[in-house]
Amino acid sequence: METLALIESLDRDGQPRQILRVMQWPVRIGRAIDCDLVLDDPHVAAHHATLQMHEDGLHVVPATTVNGVRLGAAAIAPGSTAPLPASRTLTLGATTLRVRLASDALAPEQRFVDLHKHERRHAVTLSVLIALAALLQGFDQWLTTIPGTPSYAQVWTYIVAPVGLVLWCVAWAIGSMLFQHRFAFWPHLRVALTWLLLGVVTEIVASQLAFALSLPAIDKLGRIAFVVFMAMMLWHHMGLLLPKMRRTFGIAISSGVIVMGGLLMVARWVQQEPLVGDLYLGTISLPAVRVARPVSVDSFVKAAAPLEKTLSHWAKPGDDDEDEPESDED
Amino acid sequence: MIKARNAGWRHAAPGGAQPRGNNAHKGSGYDASMLLNSLLRQPGRLLAPLLLAGAALAAWAGATPPGAKLPAAPASPLAKPPAAASAAEQDDDRDDSANLSASARRIYDVGRPRLLQVRTLLRDQDSQASVGSGSLVGPDGLILTNYHVVSQVALEPQRYRLSFQTVDGVAGALQLIAFDVVHDLALVRMAKPPADVARRGLFEFRPQSTPLAQGERIFSLGNPLDVGFAVVEGTYNGLVERSFLPQILFSGALNPGMSGGPVLDDRGHIVGVNVATRRDGQNISFLVPAEFAQALIARGASAKPITGPVEAEMARQLLAHQQQLTTRFVGLPWRETKHAHYSVPVPQEDFMRCWGSSNPSESKGLSFERSDCQMDTAIFINESLRTGDIAVRHEVYDGSKLGALRFAQEAGQSFRNERMGRHTHDMTAPKCQEDFVENAGLPMRTVMCLRAYRRLPGLYDVAVLSQSVDARTEGVQGRFDAHGVSFQNALLLASHYLQGFAWKRSP
Repeated sequence: METLALIESLDRDGQPRQILRVMQWPVRIGRAIDCDLVLDDPHVAAHHATLQMHEDGLHVVPATTVNGVRLGAAAIAPGSTAPLPASRTLTLGATTLRVRLASDALAPEQRFVDLHKHERRHAVTLSVLIALAALLQGFDQWLTTIPGTPSYAQVWTYIVAPVGLVLWCVAWAIGSMLFQHRFAFWPHLRVALTWLLLGVVTEIVASQLAFALSLPAIDKLGRIAFVVFMAMMLWHHMGLLLPKMRRTFGIAISSGVIVMGGLLMVARWVQQEPLVGDLYLGTISLPAVRVARPVSVDSFVKAAAPLEKTLSHWAKPGDDDEDEPESDED
Repeated sequence: MIKARNAGWRHAAPGGAQPRGNNAHKGSGYDASMLLNSLLRQPGRLLAPLLLAGAALAAWAGATPPGAKLPAAPASPLAKPPAAASAAEQDDDRDDSANLSASARRIYDVGRPRLLQVRTLLRDQDSQASVGSGSLVGPDGLILTNYHVVSQVALEPQRYRLSFQTVDGVAGALQLIAFDVVHDLALVRMAKPPADVARRGLFEFRPQSTPLAQGERIFSLGNPLDVGFAVVEGTYNGLVERSFLPQILFSGALNPGMSGGPVLDDRGHIVGVNVATRRDGQNISFLVPAEFAQALIARGASAKPITGPVEAEMARQLLAHQQQLTTRFVGLPWRETKHAHYSVPVPQEDFMRCWGSSNPSESKGLSFERSDCQMDTAIFINESLRTGDIAVRHEVYDGSKLGALRFAQEAGQSFRNERMGRHTHDMTAPKCQEDFVENAGLPMRTVMCLRAYRRLPGLYDVAVLSQSVDARTEGVQGRFDAHGVSFQNALLLASHYLQGFAWKRSP
């Protein structure tokens, strides 16, 4: 006798838990011992449903039960019959069943990716990233430490950033344990380092460029780029956890960033603050970095004339006069 | 530190117990931290209020025995204010004590019927928000007091109203007639003068032809801490030195609640009006010279009660003041600075005080010297807003021990830390202009931020922050602030300030 089909009972991860070889149709499913497929699920009736092969394909005929049969989201009324959808999955009680027919075409063989080998191939990249991050951190420490400050006073600041980064990646690795059944610390470290470095370096370059060219807008762009890179980091972390949901995550994160950023800008606008970044460019760099030509005092002061219009507009008692907090309330 | 390192004065904010009153606005201009700010952070200005507001009163009331009658003759120790009230009563010169006592009695007799307590009440309740003093100076119940005593009513008539109470207990409503915000004076009039108002008589002014001599004994009248009519003896010491707005230096103990009360010579003629005291000193008090009160009476005595908004008139007075201030300030040359490479704009001390400091020489990092110049007088507008003054400061850095990169980092940190203020009830947020500016061979990174007064049209605050960018390990950072100036004058002052910077060729 040839095998007509396989019925697989799936666990929560979608892995088969129990497999029945089908030699003939119909197949009766239920908890009773005389069923063809006996399920150990308290939410399944003694005789729950029957699978029948018709000319136009496989049908399910539910019996009268408490929990019924669902095809995707659709519940099938007892006694009626319904064709199985293309996915050929159906749910009885709390059990999900998948049917594979002998006539189904098989998906081609996929190349096996050894994740450990994969990581080893990225080991060089990772060590370069770690070295860069350490260098940057060290430089920053050196830059901001006044010489003569006792070194023990600085220990804390040496530790905070690396420990924070490790904890961040451990948290993601635990997440990957949950969804992927592996502790993917290194891949997450690589993601975190890549985007953090990109963000920090972009910000530094932008602020230096802004100083050099006397264009504060470049610094503001740098701030925006930093936020975008951090969002990218989050997206990659989440993508490592659930690769199938990358698209959803992408939409969720980008809309989150846009909404939050928009709200923040509205708040700043109401407070008459610049929408992005600081009130003025706070960067002072080496004299050699400066490219822009200085202006004369006269032309600098003259260029400020348009401020009068903005300020007198801001000063106008408007609608916001009423709903602002009374700062000098007694 | 007893040394008056920070020459700021607390100008007459109501209620010492209200920290907010102490310069929410100034904080933006003066608290801004420059390099190594913890060493040098400035407290707010220190001019104390003589207006008594609710919180201060409550704190004091706890010290009075419940139900105690205010003694008429020598005050019992219990009824004495907790601090600094008795200095003026002590009389070192016993030989003259009989004579002095006689003139004090005369002052008491002159003052008692003509002195009033001026109360600011909530519009719909009888709770008093603050109290000051006032004096009868004209017919039909015309009363002289401080602007800051009536400022709440002037600015928010929908929330507050004014009333008076005489020493012998007659009370009634008051109307605002005129004010001089620059000199902190106001005229109010009784809405329905009581029948006996004419019998009370009026205070008279000492003729300007016979000026007081320094050292003369004068008498301040008022109702300190709302405990009752008091005469405080003190000494006339001439005008405060280096003050843009003339004020009499009175060595006597003024207390909250006495604001607006008259100060009399030994014949009972007004020579000044109580206005403020220095919180960091003892018995250092300030009076508005009588001439400004006379001028206000001359122009305002016959005016109708003010019913509409006062902001336009206030702005007009402040604009006149800022024009004088700007003209005088711009007319003065900058002082020579001794730095080898930089000329830095440091103002003359005609009406400013400058304090210098430097960080310890053993410091291995950035070493710097700092100068900080401020005006004594700022004009009271409301509890959170003082204006009409100028401040200039700078720091000269030597980063040779740091190296170029770390020096740039430190200088940037200091440059970035400057506060320019935020959007508030009184002010708009700042709007800035920034660029590299070169003057006399010195390139600088310069930021100029302006804010507009939301209720006083035509007035602005301007702050100029400038950091030299010519050298790898040395530099100068300066900041200029002017409060309450016109837009044109803001630009004029900024330009004047920036032109004070220069690179000195090595000798």
